[in-house]
Amino acid sequence: MKIKVYRDLMGANDMWAGKTRRLLASKNVKMLDLIGSPGSGKTALLEQTVKRISDKTRAGPLLARGRPLRSKQKGAPQAAALQMAVLEGDIATSNDAKRLAKLNCLVSQLLTGGGCHLEAKMVHYALRDLPIGKLDLVIIENVGNLVCPADFDMGENAKAVVLSVTEGEDKPQKYPTIFREAKAIVISKTDLLPKVPFKMKKCLGLIRQINSRAPIFQTSATTGRGMDEWLNWLRAFVRG
Amino acid sequence: MHEFTICQSLLTAVLTELKKNAWGRRRLKRANVVAGQYHRLVPASLKFAYKILTKNTPAEGSRLSIKSVPIKIKCNRCGWQGPTRDISFLCPKCKKADVEIIGGNELCLESIEIEDHENQSIPRPDGRK
Repeated sequence: MKIKVYRDLMGANDMWAGKTRRLLASKNVKMLDLIGSPGSGKTALLEQTVKRISDKTRAGPLLARGRPLRSKQKGAPQAAALQMAVLEGDIATSNDAKRLAKLNCLVSQLLTGGGCHLEAKMVHYALRDLPIGKLDLVIIENVGNLVCPADFDMGENAKAVVLSVTEGEDKPQKYPTIFREAKAIVISKTDLLPKVPFKMKKCLGLIRQINSRAPIFQTSATTGRGMDEWLNWLRAFVRG
Repeated sequence: MHEFTICQSLLTAVLTELKKNAWGRRRLKRANVVAGQYHRLVPASLKFAYKILTKNTPAEGSRLSIKSVPIKIKCNRCGWQGPTRDISFLCPKCKKADVEIIGGNELCLESIEIEDHENQSIPRPDGRK
């Protein structure tokens, strides 16, 4: 006897992603899912992001989005830096969370214990432990992997992908799903360009073949190149 | 690992349906899954995961069959529609990347097949014979 069922198998993950999306919307918080291979420089990019985004002098036009300033000092200047938190996804160790915690960043380490990607339920529980009402932006640093994280909805507002110049310019072609889904693409470690045989023009062409819309940022966490453009995009992402 | 995650929700779905439709009195013969190629699941891995995860459950010993659905795209520039095997999603006609995925991203338990005869020795929860 055959019984028709038609039950969606991504349903359980999508249910938690939906819960997260509603939670974020109700608190007016934006969430970005940062995806890249192991060692592509995701944490280094976040370190620089945290350092700069909490710097009020660089905060630019973002004026606390019409909400009361959270600065403890009364009469503080009207420019407000973004309040952000990071959810660090790793298979093992809390090394990355420690790196970010040193910068006074609000960070939670999520350990998958062997799992190749974070799941929406883990992210939802981690979010509930954060003072989410006081935040503007949450960045998930997903487990280093270009395959599985692309398939799993975390309830984020956008996915961004990091590709380092040491990985080779054909990565977008090899892992098209994530490059297609990304709303922003970061090419990291550009300070190493003189040392590695990376063809930037070819890489940009391959990205554009797959994704004609997402902005591409050529950055270096070491020299600070491209960080201002990346931060401007992040600020616009939080505003929009 | 990806396949194990998917298989975990597959097993939940299978067991729920089995309980709903067979009251534990009929054995599950087969679970039929429809998997769009967009998910790039490896059938052998999914079957392996199914075999491991169904152990010591009412679905133990049942078979898993996976129907693969090709990715279908629609070009926003020239309007071409059709299946593609090229996962860089270029329109085969105008070679542009401005395409929409209109099929092949489904992933569901399509149906279950259970034995025709009930095992009368197991009582039904509603007390009926």
